[in-house]
Amino acid sequence: MTENTPAIATADTYKRLGANPYRPWPARITSIQQLTPKEKLFELRIIDASVRDAFRHTAGQFVELSIFGVGEAPISISSAPSKQGFIELCIREAGTVTSAMHRMRAGDIVGLRGPFGRGFPFDEMRGHDILLVAGGLGIAPLKSLINHIHDERHEFGKVTILLGARSPKEILFRQEFDMWRHREDFDLQMTVDIPDDDWDGEVGLVTKLFDALEVDPENTYGAICGPPVMYRFVVAEMRKKDLDVDRIYVSFERRMKCGIGKCCHCGVGHKYACIDGPVFSYWEAMNLKEAM
Amino acid sequence: MFFKIIDKESIVDLYAGLAAEYDEVTGPKTSPKDPRYVKFGKIRDASQLRLDYKTSIVPPKKYFLAADERLMRYDRTTGEVYDTEPPLQTRALIGVHPCDINAILMLDDIFLNEFEDPYYKVYRENTFIVGVSCMPSPTCTCNSFGADEVHRGFDLFLSDLGDRWFVSVRSVKAAAIVDRYLDAREVTADDTRAFQERTKRFKKALPKRMDLDQLPLLYDAKYDYPLWEDIGKDCLSCGACSVVCPCCYCFDVRDTLSADGRVGKRHRVWDSCLASEFAEVAHNHNFRPKAADRVRYRFYHKFVGNFTRNGKMLCVGCGRCTTACKAFIDPQRIVKALESEDTPASAGTRKGGGAQ
Ligand SMILES: Cc1cc2nc3c(=O)[nH]c(=O)nc-3n(C[C@H](O)[C@H](O)[C@H](O)COP(=O)(O)OP(=O)(O)OC[C@H]3O[C@@H](n4cnc5c(N)ncnc54)[C@H](O)[C@@H]3O)c2cc1C
Ligand code: SF4
Ligand code: SF4
Repeated sequence: MTENTPAIATADTYKRLGANPYRPWPARITSIQQLTPKEKLFELRIIDASVRDAFRHTAGQFVELSIFGVGEAPISISSAPSKQGFIELCIREAGTVTSAMHRMRAGDIVGLRGPFGRGFPFDEMRGHDILLVAGGLGIAPLKSLINHIHDERHEFGKVTILLGARSPKEILFRQEFDMWRHREDFDLQMTVDIPDDDWDGEVGLVTKLFDALEVDPENTYGAICGPPVMYRFVVAEMRKKDLDVDRIYVSFERRMKCGIGKCCHCGVGHKYACIDGPVFSYWEAMNLKEAM
Repeated sequence: MFFKIIDKESIVDLYAGLAAEYDEVTGPKTSPKDPRYVKFGKIRDASQLRLDYKTSIVPPKKYFLAADERLMRYDRTTGEVYDTEPPLQTRALIGVHPCDINAILMLDDIFLNEFEDPYYKVYRENTFIVGVSCMPSPTCTCNSFGADEVHRGFDLFLSDLGDRWFVSVRSVKAAAIVDRYLDAREVTADDTRAFQERTKRFKKALPKRMDLDQLPLLYDAKYDYPLWEDIGKDCLSCGACSVVCPCCYCFDVRDTLSADGRVGKRHRVWDSCLASEFAEVAHNHNFRPKAADRVRYRFYHKFVGNFTRNGKMLCVGCGRCTTACKAFIDPQRIVKALESEDTPASAGTRKGGGAQ
């Protein structure tokens, strides 16, 4: 009955550096962009050059962000693995740490631990069509994947991105994505629950976008991230399109304190979202108690 | 491992030796607050040791995973982080029962895996463990969990033969202590026979073993049965069970600032998965909103989760939760309920754990 947990690349990083995995690395905020009323995009640079060089992430991994004097919170890395020297975090003001982060200015110092967790199986996804579905802040980890696919666009077949948000104002990375809507190599569709006067896109839940979608089930990988309520419905749509259960990937949010499989807060069935996830295949997720 | 015999009184020499070699000696002693109880604490004189104790209220896990551990200090303005190691202090821990040593071995699997916990590791490496034999209390179920015997995880082990101790010497450090401080003699055939007798008496006094072979599968199969609602109704979400459990280890992390706001400290403190906010995330979404969800999770982690990960159930049958829980929720009750309940929840009543 013993099951191997996947090799953890980050454990190696910490071993190589001989570093205490609870110790945050000081990082400077290099720029801040207000994306929506509730979300900002932060660009960070780890101050210690040797740590900065050792820091390598894959799309879907996260960091533990420290605000000194306040606490820590797990945050997905939004930037692509190819973006070296800088790390981007898209953060919603949701509680103690994230609100404190929102009060920070460029030049201020925070702490980072990580990268932690298992991201999307990028190597396995190469050569296939990709169907990404993000609800609200769920775009944060998917943005890293999108950027990585963008870097190696010729390696992929059809790439479809479905974005759902409550209102047009709440669409993250809207400027960027607005431009993408006219690109040939990405099929990007957006929908909102509550439109405003200027909205010319779809209205309704993100699942609605599936109706007109053509998917090659033999050749497609799906990736989903969004609020807890979203997963079941989006997975159902993907299953209707005959995607295999082990080719649909979901990224979970759970409460986390350590990021290294000790504190138990992120337990899902017999797994921990922090070291076994946060990205799980739907096959894994459907076999975990309380996952979806 | 080799064996020696020492007199009962030689415990004084053992104490003196450990006190000379280690910064601190701790062990079971009468609780200063209530003489009916025994707790692990600092031993200043061998006469304080209560090696015939039943079960301590709080297990000795506190010496490896402190109830409140400072992880680091930092300068809030510069982000400089320092004091990331626990103060290096050596400790001898005398009088640990087999179940509690087995529990420490389980914590090793978690804290000394590919992500080594540097704090746990320092305590573990700098603690000399002296195990001691016991006789079962009515609440003990160690034999059901294979925790009534222990073969590693200690330096010395003392088995009580009435007027003398049968000593198992497990580590190099222990051999040195025996050599330097104890007037130990070789084991005779009589001693071995007496040891065998003692073991037999101990085994006889243990309760009937629960059959746990099916437990992980049964748990998965009956995950949505109403038994959890029944048991959960009783739970007060007080977390006492987590505090007293030698195999429970979850924690919360907290930051505090000095009065001038310049220097901060980060601590980790014991937590409990029975606490209502344990699995709560932003926007008031709670993955385990009901006490029933949380009780089910606690024992799932113990009997299925950890078992699936590394082949061990996170329970040594020490009986502490049986004593501590005001709602009479303990492993025996869970096992019984899982075995006897045979009515699935009617379709559509509830689906797993309040998750979406
Ligand atoms: C893998 C992963 C990736 C993530 N990525 C991102 C990301 O990219 N961007 C982003 O913005 N967020 C992300 N999150 C979510 C983020 O980590 C949480 O929202 C986190 O709670 C924010 O921390 P905070 O201190 O600001 O909020 P908290 O102060 O923790 O408050 C958040 C909520 O948690 C509850 N809560 C917290 N503490 C307590 C308590 N002591 N008692 C009771 N209830 C409490 C409350 O319901 C509160 O509303 C991610 C989470 C995970 C697990
Ligand atoms: S199971 Fe018992 S000890 Fe544990 S939280 Fe519930 S009432 Fe408290
Ligand atoms: S669950 Fe109860 S009996 Fe089992 S080890 Fe923990 S406290 Fe002891």
